[in-house]
Order: sequence, then C-alpha cells, then structure tokens
Amino acid sequence: MSLGNPSGQTAANTVGPPASDGDVLVRSRGVTKRFGGLVAVNNVDFDIPRGSIVSLIGPNGAGKTTFFNMITGFYTPTSGEIEFDGRPIVMKRRNGLRSLPPHEVAALGIGRTFQNIRLFGTMTALDNVRLGANVHLKSRWWDAALRTPGMLREEAENRESSMDLLRLVNLEDRAHAWARSLPYGDQRRLEIARALATKPKLLLLDEPTAGMNASETRDMTTFIRRLRADLGLTVLLIEHDMRVVMGISDRVTVLDYGTVIAEGTPTDVRRNPKVIEAYLGRGAADT
Amino acid sequence: MDQVIQTFIIGLSNGLIFALVALGYTLVYGIIELINFAHGDLFMISSMIALFLIATVFRLSAATPVLELVGVILLVIAVTMIVSAAINVAIERIAYRPLRHAPKLAPLISAIGVSFVLQNIANLIAGPANKSIDNLFPTTNLLSAFGITTIAVTFQQAFVAMVTIPLLIALTWFVDKTRQGRAMRATAQDPDTAGLMGVDVNRTIALTFLIGGALAGAAGVVQILYNNVTVYNLGFRFGLNAFTSAVLGGIGNLSGAVVGALVLGQINAFSDRFLSANWTNAIVFAVLIAVLVFKPTGLLGQQLADRA
Amino acid sequence: MTTLVVKDEDPYGHGIGGWLSHVGAVIFGIPDTYRRELRLHRRRTIALTIMTVILVTYPILNSAFLAAFSRNVFPLPLPDDTTVTLMMIFGIMAIGLNIVAGFAGLLDLGYVAFYALGAYTAAFLASPHWGSISVVFLANVPEGFPGIHLPFWIIVPLAIIVAGTFGALLGAPTLRLRGDYLAIVTLGFGEIVPVVFRNLSDVTFAFSLGPISIGAQHLNLTGGSLGINPIDAPYLPFANVTFNASAGYAPVYLGMFLLLFAILIARNLERSRIGRAWMAIREDELAAEMMGVNTLRTKLLAFALGASFAGVAGSLQASYLGATTSDFFTFSTSILVLIMVILGGIGNIWGVLLGAVALTYVDKTLLPYVGQQVQQIAPSFPNPAQFNFLLFGLILVAMMRFRPEGFLPNRQRAAELAAHTQADVEAKVDAIGAVDIQAETEAAIEADPSAVLDNTGPPPGQDETGPDARSPETIDEERDL
Repeated sequence: MSLGNPSGQTAANTVGPPASDGDVLVRSRGVTKRFGGLVAVNNVDFDIPRGSIVSLIGPNGAGKTTFFNMITGFYTPTSGEIEFDGRPIVMKRRNGLRSLPPHEVAALGIGRTFQNIRLFGTMTALDNVRLGANVHLKSRWWDAALRTPGMLREEAENRESSMDLLRLVNLEDRAHAWARSLPYGDQRRLEIARALATKPKLLLLDEPTAGMNASETRDMTTFIRRLRADLGLTVLLIEHDMRVVMGISDRVTVLDYGTVIAEGTPTDVRRNPKVIEAYLGRGAADT
Repeated sequence: MDQVIQTFIIGLSNGLIFALVALGYTLVYGIIELINFAHGDLFMISSMIALFLIATVFRLSAATPVLELVGVILLVIAVTMIVSAAINVAIERIAYRPLRHAPKLAPLISAIGVSFVLQNIANLIAGPANKSIDNLFPTTNLLSAFGITTIAVTFQQAFVAMVTIPLLIALTWFVDKTRQGRAMRATAQDPDTAGLMGVDVNRTIALTFLIGGALAGAAGVVQILYNNVTVYNLGFRFGLNAFTSAVLGGIGNLSGAVVGALVLGQINAFSDRFLSANWTNAIVFAVLIAVLVFKPTGLLGQQLADRA
Repeated sequence: MTTLVVKDEDPYGHGIGGWLSHVGAVIFGIPDTYRRELRLHRRRTIALTIMTVILVTYPILNSAFLAAFSRNVFPLPLPDDTTVTLMMIFGIMAIGLNIVAGFAGLLDLGYVAFYALGAYTAAFLASPHWGSISVVFLANVPEGFPGIHLPFWIIVPLAIIVAGTFGALLGAPTLRLRGDYLAIVTLGFGEIVPVVFRNLSDVTFAFSLGPISIGAQHLNLTGGSLGINPIDAPYLPFANVTFNASAGYAPVYLGMFLLLFAILIARNLERSRIGRAWMAIREDELAAEMMGVNTLRTKLLAFALGASFAGVAGSLQASYLGATTSDFFTFSTSILVLIMVILGGIGNIWGVLLGAVALTYVDKTLLPYVGQQVQQIAPSFPNPAQFNFLLFGLILVAMMRFRPEGFLPNRQRAAELAAHTQADVEAKVDAIGAVDIQAETEAAIEADPSAVLDNTGPPPGQDETGPDARSPETIDEERDL
C-alpha cells in the first residue's frame, strides 16, 4: 500500500514559495471571509510546514471551521491568497476570487474529516473507504458498464488497498457493516480512513476527539502521531481538548474573532497573555 | 398598435387569474417548501363547482335580473371559496402532513398523485369534454362610452379585476397585519423556532392551505365567468402558468407572484395572438426553465418572511 | 510501475481480446455461479429460477394453448404478447429511470422526453418519412424505396446516443439546482419535446449567408399530430423474422433480449466506482464532493445514461408498433414509469422490474378486462380502464405515506427513508437491526470478490452493536459543516 504521493511530485509545475519560507505545504496570506456584515475570518496569514502537525484553536465561533472550509475549496475567501503545495487554490477572476471546486482540491491532496461525522451511513465501512479512493480510479463509465478487465483489476486493487486502510484503523472486521451501525469512536476512525483513501498530503481533522473518553482520546492522539510517522502526512487539527493540542502539535495557531492572536510552539502559546484572555475573559491575564 | 393594446388587455385579465392561483403556490412553498403540484387541479375543481352552481343550482343566464345576478355571483364566489379551501385543507391533512419529516421529494411525489386523483375525479363526474356556460354579462364594450371602438374592454374583463384586486389587497393586509399572518411569516422563516415561540405550526400550515385553497376557489369562479369554459385537465396548463409566475416573481414572495402572474398573462396573450397557441405551453416552460437555471431566486427574490 | 507488475498477473490479457476472454470466463462460469447461489440462497435461487423459466417460456406457451382456455382456468386474464412486449419496454425504462432516481436520487419528471427522442430516432431513420430521398442500408425494404431505411440494430445505438446527448444537454445547466426545482425543469423538458415534435410539421424558413441561401417551404419535419408511420419493424436477416405487432411472440423475445442487456449494464454500473459515487451523492452530496467526487459530472452521467435507456425503449416501441405520434409521450407516461420505480422499490433493479411488469399488466390487461366486465353488467357505469390514473394517483399518495421504499425495497434506500420518516432514533435502530439479521448470511458472498454475477446488494453489518449514547444518528439532519 502506498499512501500519499512522493513529496515533490508536483514540484515541476510549482511556482515555488520563497526560500525563506522553508518547505511550506499550505501558505495563506491575508485571507478574509465575510458573511454579509460578519467577518468570520480576518486577514489571516498562516503557514503549515510540510510534515508538521499544526493545531488551530480558539473559542467557539472564532472562524476555525470557516478557515478549514476555505482550504478545501468549499468557501471562497472574500480576499487573500491560499496556496497548497505551491499551487493556488484561490484564483483571481475578473469578477472577484474563485476557489477550485472541492473535488479538485481533494484530488490535489487534501483529505478531511467533519466536526459532525459525515459518513455515508447506509454504505458499508469498506465502500465508504473505497469511495474515498474514487478520485484516483481511472476506469470510465463504459469500463463500468462492460466490466472490462482493466476495471476489474482496478476494483480489486482498490478493494485491497481499502481493506489495508481499514486494517490501519482497526476496522477490518467491520468492513461489511453499515457505517452508521458502527459505534461513535469507530465512525471517527472510519472517517479518517476514508480521508486517507484520497491519498492526501494534508489531512484536516475537525475535532477528532470530540465526544471521546480519556482512553479513546489517548488512542486517537497516538494514531495521529503514527499517521505522520508512518505515512509522512502533514496534519492540520481543530481541537478543543488542550491536552491533545499541547501533546501532539508542533505549532499552534490561535484564532479569536477571525483574527490570529497568537502563533508558535505549544509552550509559547500557553504562556501568551492574549490567549489566556481570549479563553478566560478579559482581565484574567492580569490576575 | 390597437392589436397590441387589445392583446395587452387580454393578457392583463389572464394575469389576474394566474395571480390568484400563483399565490397558492407561493404561500405553500414559502411555508413548507413544497411544490404543491395539485394546486392547479384544485383550481380546476373549483371551476367545476362554480359551473355546477351557476348552471345547475341557480340556473343563471344573461336574462337574470342584474340585482339577482350580482347577489348570486357573490354567493357562488363565497361557497366555492369555502369548499375549495376545505378540500385543500383536507388534502394537506391526508397527503402532506404525514410526510412532514420525510425526504423533501416525498411530498412532491404525493402531490403529483393528488393531482392525478383530482383530475380523474373531475373526469369521472363531468366527463372528458369541455364544459361551458353562456356568457352572463352584457357584451358591450365599456370603452365605447369614451368613444373608443377599436379597442374593447368587456364586462367580463372588468369583472376579473373587480374580484381579484380586492382579494389581493385583503391577502396582503392579512399577512402583513394580523396575528395569524405574523405566525405564517414566522413559520416560513423557521418552523422549529416558530414552534418554540408558541406558534401552532400545524395550524399555521393548515391555515396557509386554507387561504391558498380559497384563492384558488375564487379563481375558479372567475375562470368560469370570464372564459365560460372548463375541462378536467385545465389544471395542468393553468397550474404550470401559475407556478411559473410564482417562480418568476421569486417563490415565497407574495407581491412577486402577482408581478410574475401579470408577466405570464402577457406572455400567454402575445404568444397566442402573434405566434400560435400551439407553442404557448412550450414557451411558458422555456421561461420556467430559463428562470430556474439563470435566476432561481426569481425577479424579486424569495422572501415570504421578510416582506409579504 | 505498479500497473506493470499487475499486468503480468492479468489472467485475461488486454484489449478486446482480453475483454472477450473475460466475458467468456463469466459465461462459462455461470454453472459454477449458479451452484454457489443455490448453496448460499437456496430458496431465493429456486424462486428466481422458476420465475425465469415461466417468463422465458410464457410467450410460447401462451400462443400454444394458454390463450385458448385461460379465461376458463384462471380467474384473471393472462397478458397477451403485446402486453408482455410492453412489459419489456417499460422494464427497460424503469431500469433507466431507476439509475437517475434510484441510484443518484434525482427526480426526473420528464423522462418521457427521452422515450420520445428514441421513438422519433427510429421514425426518422426507418420510415418513408423523407420521401424525396432514398437511403436503404441493410434494411428489409427493396432498393430505391423512398425514405431512409436503416436496420433496427443500427437505430438502437443511435437512439442511445441521441437520448444520452439530450440527457447531458438538459442536465448540464440544470443539475446544480435543488431536487424539487430539478424535478420541475425536467417536467418542462418532458412537455416541450412532444410539443416540438407536434408543431414542426409545417416549417417555412429562409435565410441567406453571403452567396448561400437556405430555405424551405412547408417542410414537414416531424409529421405533426399525425406522427410518422409506417416505421420499419425490426428484422433479423438470416432467420427471416420480423418483429412487428402481428408477429406473435417474436417481439417478446426481442424485448427480453434488450431488457437483459439493460439489467446487465445497470447492475454493472451499480457495482462500480460510479455506482458508489451515485450512492454517496444520494446520501450526502457535500461530503461526496469533499471526498473528491466530481458531483456535477457524476450526476450528469446518471442523467445521460438513464436517458439512453429510454432511448432504447422508445426506438423499440416505435419499431414494434410501426408508428409514432407525439400523443404517446405525455406527462402521465413519465409518471407511470415513476410509479413503477416507486412501487417496486426505488434503487432495486429487481424491484423496479417487478413494478414495470405489475403495472403494465394492470394498465393493459387487468383494467381493460375489469372494464369489459363492468360494461356488461352496468353499461352506464364509468369504464375503469379510462380512469387508470385515478388508481395510479392513489397508489402514489398511499405509497408515499405507507411504504415509500416500495414492495421489493433496496435495503439502503429503505433505511434512508425510514431514518427520515421515523422521528425517534430507537425506531431507526430497530429497523436497521431487523434488516441486519436477515442479511447476516449474505455477507459471506460479498467476501468473495470473484463473484461477478452474484446479485446480492451491499450487505450491512454482520452484527449490530447498537449506537451508544453519542451515536450520531442525526447527522443526516445536520447540514452545517
């Protein structure tokens, strides 16, 4: 099984970030998103170094998920630039900005999970994962209609690699269970397996430990670390559980009211008075 | 030029009848996001009821004394509106309410079923042929009083305006100013919140069907007295026009539905007159598709809740 | 580089030859597949076998002796050859509409348009309609006969292309619309197409482009309200069989042959990456898009492929009946096919097939028979055969209320519909649990990837853990991210 394209595969057609940026997988500059009068994300500069685990934290409504949705092409920023792996996700058009459609962003190598799990409930766990690999399958409708040997071969391979992914998340014995019949923790892991099937370079996890107990949370943390170690993935995390955030992140970015108020290593961020204020209310930092 | 003006007047009368039916579509869509496919057929049933009352029960004719004529017509309008409203509420109860939490397309499919049922009931009772009555109004040209003879406005056309315009004003007042009207607007915006705020959502939805049904009832009477003819499958063509009106004006938007209906009335009249009646349906459908594809919010936007 | 390795292991080789050897392996594997089916699902396989034998032999038996004494032996009339042929035609349509409505979850209320396009493709290319020219190609008419005459076997692929193309043309701008708007747009298209065929019987136009002037006077493009006839019947050259309405049971087998193809293609599509993408879109379009599915394109594919099935049905219908007019293609036909799909079980090929057979029987044999009986007893009573759509309308309303998943449901669709109609989570879990137990044994077959012709659906879990307190059963209701 191979997960993730060899890094630098797309280097040939890369504009290339400035050398000073190091090896940056996601680069955003001045990203702003307005909904009517509400500014959900305000002028955010945000880099994700390749191979790192980065957490995006902040109080509810700080704009974390909105930012996620802009990286995946679901929302188009009101202004700003987003680059992924050296390729722009947001393009300038005559009548304003235009994002790549989400399925093209997924094909570029961004996989994601959802805050409220969004599995295909009445498809089997295996088919959920196989769906994730859809973007890399080459057989066309006539192959499907006539069941050509190439298509059968591809399906068999897809099945095998999907089973491998289920094995990776310890769900191989539930492969034929409907996704929605699985217990909550299994669903969370199945969602990750589905995202991995898209062969991402960047994995976006939206509150992966939400609703989990302490031991489940520990397992998930170990698992996320393994994803980076074994598969060389870059991970962007939205998380509320500070133990998780502090435990696995290389860098932490704090959003409040759509603005980046702090950025740095977990230790830096934990000491930052602005962060304490944002979480505990004004005045808390002074006492 | 006279031809154009004459066609415009015909289109205006058509449009006013469309408006009454279009409001039924737009009210229901605004509240429960259902394309009430059977609404056009309810209008057809109303026209059948009106025909039955006028021709069989009261035996009106052009020779009926004016006072009696006016009185009986008002009575027919009232009775038809009540019956039509009752039918519409019953339909909602039987065919749509049990599907309140079903996938969105289920009530639409159910509505198509109701549409076929209504059509075939009418066919069963009235038969497949056109049913018509004699014109009850004088045939003089109202404009001849002003010395105009090349363009005609008939009593029938004046009658259309006299029935529809007060109803449109009354509806606007009801939705804007009354408590039930506010409940309707609240439900349209967010049924769950409205329910929490003490609005009886089921009652409000039933009320919406009641009003839509009553308007369709009035439209049925106007249809019979204006065009003097009805047939069991009239509702399909008419419903199509009315629904297109609602979409054109921004579905859920009451004044939009009226504006859309007036535009559709003109499209029908001009297409019938200058192209061919054979093409009118296709043109109306083309307009409908074009609006849905290019401007699905309609010309005036969708906003039952914001501005009724 | 991985592909190179696998190519060496490919048992079938490449290209057409490889595919043919694969098809050969499947066909020669049928006995084995059948034995395995018999072992795993004994009762169902036996029932299916008996049904197939009855279906295949019915037309011959019917013509041989059933028709002669059926009225005396059976309480209800048996369908004649015409009705059975229509069952096949409607079966093809139901399977096509099922791709659109069942697999991809798109409501198409104008499906009849593609049926009409198929029929008129046959009418234009195999009739004396274009009387001023003569093109005869491999057809069963004398050389120099006026009009274009292509054989049915060429017309079918052309009808597929025409209907599929129009499906794509209609779908491209409209598939972004929400479900109910899409339904209305398709309805509009379904109304416009017959109107165009009805009205383009007297076309006069003239325009000039530089030195070239093009024009025509009173050109009859479509035959108007009279339609086009006679249309050449399908003809099998070597066996010298003509499949027309007076050819007894021969057309039944032609219909059966095409229906078999339709079933095969639809099943293959269902169990491919495209089928999975359709189901994902049906369940959660946004999540599918986020997982890299080009949802617009995938829906367009469903639309175009579904339309092409109606094209086949239309060309068969027109060639078989030998005539076509725009009056055949009304909104009620679209709805009739929709009812077949809903009645049988939306999403399940065998279900919609059952719906097509049952409804065609009711419409073409049972109601006329009942009508006849009623007329004998009470001549003034309305004839039930004329009020078939009263019954069908009631069926639609009742089905939506009491059994939206149909009588032979697709398990997945049934669960989706149940999840929406039953408010409390408990009931949902019970329903799924019940299905699970029934499906337990079926998981075994899916574990065997070589099963090419097996007809099990995707089996749900072998065991049911049940949701814990935090089970996100309500995710379908939440549309935010």
